[in-house]
Amino acid sequence: MEARLEAVQFAYGDHPVLDVPALRFAEGRVTALLGPNGSGKSTVLRLLAGLERPAAGRVLVGGKPAPAARDSVAYAFQEAVFLSGTLRANLDLALRLRGLSPSARRSRLAEAATACGVAHLLDRPANRLSGGEAQRANLARALSLRAPLTLLDEPLAGFDERGRGEMLAELPGLLRRFAGTTVLVTHDRDEALRLAEDLVLLREGRVRAAGPRREVFAAPPDPETAAFLGYTLIPTDAGLAGIAPGGLRPGPGDFTLTLQVEEVVDLVTCVEVAGRSGGERIAVAFPAGSPLPAPGEQVTVSAPTGMVVSFTKPAPETVDRPSRASVA
Amino acid sequence: MEAIWDGLVEAFRLILRGDGELFSIAGRSLLVSGSATALAMLVGVPLGYLLGRARFPARTLILAAVGTGMGMPPVVAGLVIWLLLVRSGPFGGFELIYTKQAMIIAQFLIATPLVIAFTAASIQALPARLPDLLTVLGAGRLRTLWLLAREARLGLLAAVMAGFGAVVSEVGASMAVGGNLVGDTRVLTTAIVTETSRADTERAIAYGLVLLAMAFAIVAVLTVVQQRSPR
Repeated sequence: MEARLEAVQFAYGDHPVLDVPALRFAEGRVTALLGPNGSGKSTVLRLLAGLERPAAGRVLVGGKPAPAARDSVAYAFQEAVFLSGTLRANLDLALRLRGLSPSARRSRLAEAATACGVAHLLDRPANRLSGGEAQRANLARALSLRAPLTLLDEPLAGFDERGRGEMLAELPGLLRRFAGTTVLVTHDRDEALRLAEDLVLLREGRVRAAGPRREVFAAPPDPETAAFLGYTLIPTDAGLAGIAPGGLRPGPGDFTLTLQVEEVVDLVTCVEVAGRSGGERIAVAFPAGSPLPAPGEQVTVSAPTGMVVSFTKPAPETVDRPSRASVA
Repeated sequence: MEAIWDGLVEAFRLILRGDGELFSIAGRSLLVSGSATALAMLVGVPLGYLLGRARFPARTLILAAVGTGMGMPPVVAGLVIWLLLVRSGPFGGFELIYTKQAMIIAQFLIATPLVIAFTAASIQALPARLPDLLTVLGAGRLRTLWLLAREARLGLLAAVMAGFGAVVSEVGASMAVGGNLVGDTRVLTTAIVTETSRADTERAIAYGLVLLAMAFAIVAVLTVVQQRSPR
């Protein structure tokens, strides 16, 4: 099911939160809404779920205004919220509110609970689950609905490091199996790249970039977006050069820099050499076992052309055009 | 000590004998205080829900006013209602003064702030995202309210208990607006005052015991409902 925002403006009181000329979430795709805190990511989800109404513009889910399409939407909030009672009762209530028959409810519930790894918790009080268990249960409730549009707000929040790693590996498969079109919110770049096919970058309520993840990642429209994506920004004569994360290597190459070493940190699997080039602090991963520079020395590092983007001054102002904000 | 013992024995005799006056007064107490509590719930629960959920500029001020109302002495509530209902007052034409209706209005004034405050607190204690979750899942407005009330049942039943407990035990307001008229507006609390002043200790103790038993029975039933955890 396709969802779209058309000329949407939204504000909390006098505080403008969102100004999106056009944004489309293509059918069957997983889109990550990526941006810093307060950029309007969760507001987009709330608009799609029909929990908020825009001050201007339209929010359409499957061609219908969002509040009228709630039956087509599943939403897992960042904070796993349950009613009192067992997890089974909570999952069952969600399915019952969608009008499913008792036998359909039983099979859907068992299927989603097993897939999300919470089948053994079904008879436990839902409000007493641990952080990771509650998040899995939260996901199971949303996925059990098998809704055409699934909204996930920070689905990996609340997990410990191990649990997060496990869920990061499991989630793509779960979404393929249970969800149709998926929009997930995250402020973590790696999480977005691992989970989503499309990226929408939001900052201060505006879409800065949108499209297939590879395109968005390869061509950030402005230095701020590049910095948010993890690019290292280096001043050049023409303006700024952005080097993609992991693009810098020891030794000369297409785009070569001289680094004044300040710190050498052994990270066991590699060694991080940090220093300054043109006043900018840069960190480069040296392979473990390679000859290491000492603090105070100068080393040559470089990036291949394909991992460098240039930003001329002033920064391009194409980010708010509707065509740029279309995911499909 | 002997007087107390004799009083207790006589009180039990009155109760076991099914003393007409005793049970008539007890029934009237139940009617007046039960009606006042029911009306307070009818008005106080929606207002408490609004104060617990909504955010608007005067909210804190209203909550402070409700908190003050919780501490209002019953006799002051009685005085206010008396001033309004007395023949020369603005609502004197309704001829409600010294009637059970006047007592219900005064007790309603005492119970409502308690119900509002307990309801607002119990609604505020619910997870903030719960109403949104129920809305997204497809629960209609009434179903959402019902499910939220079920979640907040501890606080809501505490509101009933606090409201009923406050009005069934008050004497000042009932005396002021009811007049303690025999066979008409005399309730257990005003009867206790009357019998004590007459030195009829046995009756006073019997009324006291019935009042305690009645309050205990109602609160016990509410507590059982409150503590039953839904599956």
